[in-house]
Amino acid sequence: MTSTSLPGQVAGQDENAATADRPGGSGSRLADWRPGGRKLIVSAVMAVIGMAFLLPLVWLILAAFNPHATSGMSAPAFSFTNFRAAFQAGAGSAIANSFYLAGVSTIVATVVSTLAGYVLSRHYVPLKGPILVIVIFLTGLPVTLLLIPIYQMFVKINWLNSPFYTSLVLGATSVPFAIWLLKNFIDQVPRDFEEAAAVEGSGQFQILWRVVIPLIMPGILVSAILTFINSWGAFLIPLVLDSSPGDTPGAVGIYEFITANGQVQFGPLAAYGILFSVPVIIMYIISSRWLSGGFSFAGGIKG
Amino acid sequence: MANLRERQRLRPSTLAWLTPAAALLIGLFLVPICYAIYLGFTNLELLGPTAQNYSFTGLANVQRMVHDPVFWSSVKLTLIFVVGSGIIAQTVLGLALALLGQRAHVTVRASVGSVVVLAWVLPEICVAFIWYAFSQAGGTLSVLSGHSNDDLLSTVPLLIVCVANAWRGTAFSMLVLSAGLRNVPQEADEAAQLEGASYWKRLLRVTLPIIRPTLMINMLLITLGTISDFTLIFAMTQGGPGNQTAILPVYMYIEAFQFNALGYGTTIALALMVIGALLSVFYIRQLRPELRRAS
Amino acid sequence: MATISIEGVTKSFKGKAAVRDVDLEVADGQFMIIVGPSGCGKTTTLRMLAGFEKPTQGVVRIGGRVVNDVPPKDRDVAMVFQNYALLPHLTVEKNLSFGMRIRREPRKTVEREVAAIADMLGITPLLGRKPAELSGGERQRVALGRALLRKPQAFLLDEPLSNLDAALRAQMRFELKRIHAQFPVTTVYVTHDQVEAMTMADEIALMNEGRLQQVAPPERLYSEPSNAFVAGFIGSPKINLVPATVLRDGSEPVISLLSCRIPVNGDLGSVLERMDGDAVTIGLRPEEIQPCPAEANGTPVVQGLVELVEPLGSETHVTVRVGQEILVCRFPPRSGLETGATINVRFDPQQMKVFDADSGLRLG
Repeated sequence: MTSTSLPGQVAGQDENAATADRPGGSGSRLADWRPGGRKLIVSAVMAVIGMAFLLPLVWLILAAFNPHATSGMSAPAFSFTNFRAAFQAGAGSAIANSFYLAGVSTIVATVVSTLAGYVLSRHYVPLKGPILVIVIFLTGLPVTLLLIPIYQMFVKINWLNSPFYTSLVLGATSVPFAIWLLKNFIDQVPRDFEEAAAVEGSGQFQILWRVVIPLIMPGILVSAILTFINSWGAFLIPLVLDSSPGDTPGAVGIYEFITANGQVQFGPLAAYGILFSVPVIIMYIISSRWLSGGFSFAGGIKG
Repeated sequence: MANLRERQRLRPSTLAWLTPAAALLIGLFLVPICYAIYLGFTNLELLGPTAQNYSFTGLANVQRMVHDPVFWSSVKLTLIFVVGSGIIAQTVLGLALALLGQRAHVTVRASVGSVVVLAWVLPEICVAFIWYAFSQAGGTLSVLSGHSNDDLLSTVPLLIVCVANAWRGTAFSMLVLSAGLRNVPQEADEAAQLEGASYWKRLLRVTLPIIRPTLMINMLLITLGTISDFTLIFAMTQGGPGNQTAILPVYMYIEAFQFNALGYGTTIALALMVIGALLSVFYIRQLRPELRRAS
Repeated sequence: MATISIEGVTKSFKGKAAVRDVDLEVADGQFMIIVGPSGCGKTTTLRMLAGFEKPTQGVVRIGGRVVNDVPPKDRDVAMVFQNYALLPHLTVEKNLSFGMRIRREPRKTVEREVAAIADMLGITPLLGRKPAELSGGERQRVALGRALLRKPQAFLLDEPLSNLDAALRAQMRFELKRIHAQFPVTTVYVTHDQVEAMTMADEIALMNEGRLQQVAPPERLYSEPSNAFVAGFIGSPKINLVPATVLRDGSEPVISLLSCRIPVNGDLGSVLERMDGDAVTIGLRPEEIQPCPAEANGTPVVQGLVELVEPLGSETHVTVRVGQEILVCRFPPRSGLETGATINVRFDPQQMKVFDADSGLRLG
């Protein structure tokens, strides 16, 4: 994983173990002691922190809709001037490029990782142990190390300035984590269905396509969404590997927009930013239904 | 682990299906890593004569690095950035939010949680320009801190980028630690209550020790993610003013693509990998008792 | 003086009452067991004593003091949880001494007392281990030890034996009684297992669906159940509950049961005398039904078909079908019976328990 890229749902209901007689209660019921008292203080503190976090986002929204936006807080307004300016600066094509990059990298990474994850989970593979160790090791590798050698390699074989090859690299950076995620996911699925299909004479690929993939679809979707979100905001890799003006993805486009004119135009910049963020936010909202259990893996090791 | 029920033969599909992944990983990970290990010891440049005819220069780059004050400053900045904004800020804030969330009113917890997570989902470049605006003269942060005429990004650049990164990354810790807290057995906490322990005593002696493995994993992941972070700082300050925020990834980029020293840039990247590996070893060591018990 | 007093306590969760209007007194030093099926409210009641739940209505007193608003850590009670609730990251020794260290007692005292308790419970060799390395029974003892070290006003135990296997459970029942004899602290113990309740309690409080059904010492609970539920819950195999009708034969009430007509007199007679054609339920304990020859004097005899014979060695459980009813009987061993055989059984009407058919309340 190249950047923190694990969206998940906010901690929902407390599902603490309740003894047989008790309907699920939450935490230790200190809330009972001063009804309103402690819960109020805690909620207030949390709300204050929340508002501190909200401020920058408030600026973003206010600035995007106010034609006279500055670096300070703008007055609430409702104008699309900034959005028009953003599109004139190339937001439309940049976002389209981002869709391409993120889309291709996601498809490649997900297909590749599903196949590999399945094999590593189910088949006999010589040296499986060391292979898995390498995969885990690659998960934590800083991508910055790969940048220069890949650049140099691409120079030699003339793969620079190609959105396709760039998205391959982006996809590859997500593959180790995706393999690990999918392999663990598949490990948890009982083999019975595949064995039943095998007994009935299905070939390997048919089993994969008709039996396994429908079963592991949630895992595949999680992996795909994570990869997409990761690739969507990619900056350094496209910056280095593809400098064709027409191929600029959103992140690079915004960067260029900041430095384009003498003075930073905060209004259009904010609008550009919102346009660029909307697809990812939508994706996150859709995926949060799937991911509510996703963080238990890190919290699951008990003392 | 070999499943005894599997037939120990190599199926044609095994190889076929592993090939795409293997091709990508070998081609775009393993080969570049090996190539990097070689390139880091050459005098390769981006342009000019040594772009084509570069040669192995032994430890020349390493010598240069060791005597490069900007490099050492960069290492220090990287550690400050990772520890300050990652470990301390994100973990403490994330833990605080997770603990508060346990007791807060449901609506508050859900809405604050959503805001914090939204900060995380936002593309990094957006975080960068938002905080850039925030800390300009006249920006909200400058105004709130009483320095409305100052360009905070010039006066306290490292602090600002740390705060921006903390703002962005807290959600991850909050979610991971919330999950970890859910795994603290309620009965253990209740037993401690009966033994007379107050909330803070319980937090210190029961809750935190139990979630220690989660905390370690969280910090490991934060470290690995932050140490190679490029976009945020580069977009906000380009490493400046004057290298004051040039953490290693940014310094590498500057050397490689602005000063054309690709070989030296690779050396810096290798140094970054070594530092990352050392930190990982540290965390894994902390986790060893738990890992041993799990196997 | 550590009496426990639950006065008119009701506890509702989101409008549904888990505990309804419970009144319970536990005398100082008494071993009170609250027993009942899953969901009857026993654990909720215990947790209100501990302070983890607050009564919606009513008053809880410990040692005479009203504790409704007192947090658990100030109540001076100790609890043994169903899952032992040992702190997983601490050794046994540190678990035992946790409370004492919180209270900052001198180290020498802590060491001495921990050693004494460990010795008494036979867990001294385990002191350096962590809970994950212990068996269920060992963890149980550590949990007990921790509670004992508190020297509290009251012990609360929440199904402590339910995670142990049968042999261990029997052994621990004995140990718990022994410990209670040695440290006669007021104890409230919750379980769903009526065998534990019958063998260990000074007094049993039987609950069902949030309400107290009866509070009595074990023998009285068995021989004088206050309603059909109590009669059915206590005793294994379960009491036979047979529908019957009260008829009038002249001026005397008569119970018509399993095609017998049983005249009723005495106190029971006066209770039933106003009934005519009313339905009742009759309770017959399995041991009160015995095989007999075709005609016996005085006691009613019925004929039935043997459906199931379960030899247990010391006795035999025989299921007999009489007409439409099924009777489970405890016969002496080696009954020589086989499935499908016809058999005559008799029962003693003096031992019968008569319950109202609708409310289940005992009439006589």
